[in-house]
Amino acid sequence: MKEKFLRALGLYAYFFRIGWFTFGGGWSIVAQMQTDFVEKDHTIDNQELLDIVSVGRSLPGTMIGNVAYLFGCHQCGVLGGVLSVLGIITPPLIILSIVTLFYHSFQNNLYVARALTGVRAVVAPVIFSAVLKLQKAETPLPKYAFYGLCAAGCILSFVFHASSILVVVAGVLCGVLYHGKQSRKNRS
Amino acid sequence: MITTILQLFWSFLQIGFTSFGGLSMIPLINSEMLGHGWMTATEVSDIVAIAEMTPGPLGLNCATFAGIRVAGIPGALAANFGMLMPTFTICAVAAVFFERFRDSAVLGHIMTTVRPVCIGLIWGVILSLCLENYTVGGAVSFRSILAGVLGLYLLIFRKCSVPKVICAAAVFGILFCPGQ
Repeated sequence: MKEKFLRALGLYAYFFRIGWFTFGGGWSIVAQMQTDFVEKDHTIDNQELLDIVSVGRSLPGTMIGNVAYLFGCHQCGVLGGVLSVLGIITPPLIILSIVTLFYHSFQNNLYVARALTGVRAVVAPVIFSAVLKLQKAETPLPKYAFYGLCAAGCILSFVFHASSILVVVAGVLCGVLYHGKQSRKNRS
Repeated sequence: MITTILQLFWSFLQIGFTSFGGLSMIPLINSEMLGHGWMTATEVSDIVAIAEMTPGPLGLNCATFAGIRVAGIPGALAANFGMLMPTFTICAVAAVFFERFRDSAVLGHIMTTVRPVCIGLIWGVILSLCLENYTVGGAVSFRSILAGVLGLYLLIFRKCSVPKVICAAAVFGILFCPGQ
């Protein structure tokens, strides 16, 4: 029991540390989780991270809260999930409290604006470097089908502005068809 | 005071349950804030701009801003908690479900096709971030692109960690980027 509590506290500490760098709608956190958990610690693999992100993104609420909860829960039960969420939201809560108090001076500060222009310029590269590694997730699908589905997801969301939940549901439908095909293959 | 805090909680709970991340929640935030007289229309658009720039998810940042404005720190906590309710209810149920059926063949096959689609979704996010962040008022900003290329070099070839790259980019911005 005590050991579990300490592990959950460790999750709080980890998410508190990376919560200061939540940019690009939380996608930079997914990039950090990829390097820390998949590459360094091997606690989860690319597939599991993608599962967590797909589920977290398609449920209502804040994506990064959902992702933190699902990861924490997977590692250390409900307590781990709750503490992970609290960890990831503490830094934005502190920062926004300060910003709200100094709203007007913050809004007109040239250096703040410049620093944030710089930060915004590297958010896309941060997510890009993570997606390159996520694409290496093992899959039983043939290459053309895997990249075809990637392209379809990208076109649906970027060109047709379909909401993420619609895109994930489309992926689920493809999965049902794929399941039907596989079970027919196994039967014959 | 207590009623205001409960109202904040209730408003952001509704926003949380009906939003699926990102800008889709702005119309609802707008109508809730104006409806209660908590903010003016200009304040809402200001806070959306600020919430997008500062670290943290847009919805939670709006919750903190509105909460502090209306009822101080307790208000901010109540609004944040309301915004997180979907995570603690729907997502908590989904987590139990997901752990239980993790090894089933159906879920395995479904996730096999959902994963590449999710990668496509992330590509979509990258493309729209590029459109947004490498232009200033419609014109291409070469300084931002240079910062992006340097960041990419640090990330991929020097294996720098994400926080280091973000801090470096902030310094680069202060030295070379024009403020908007």
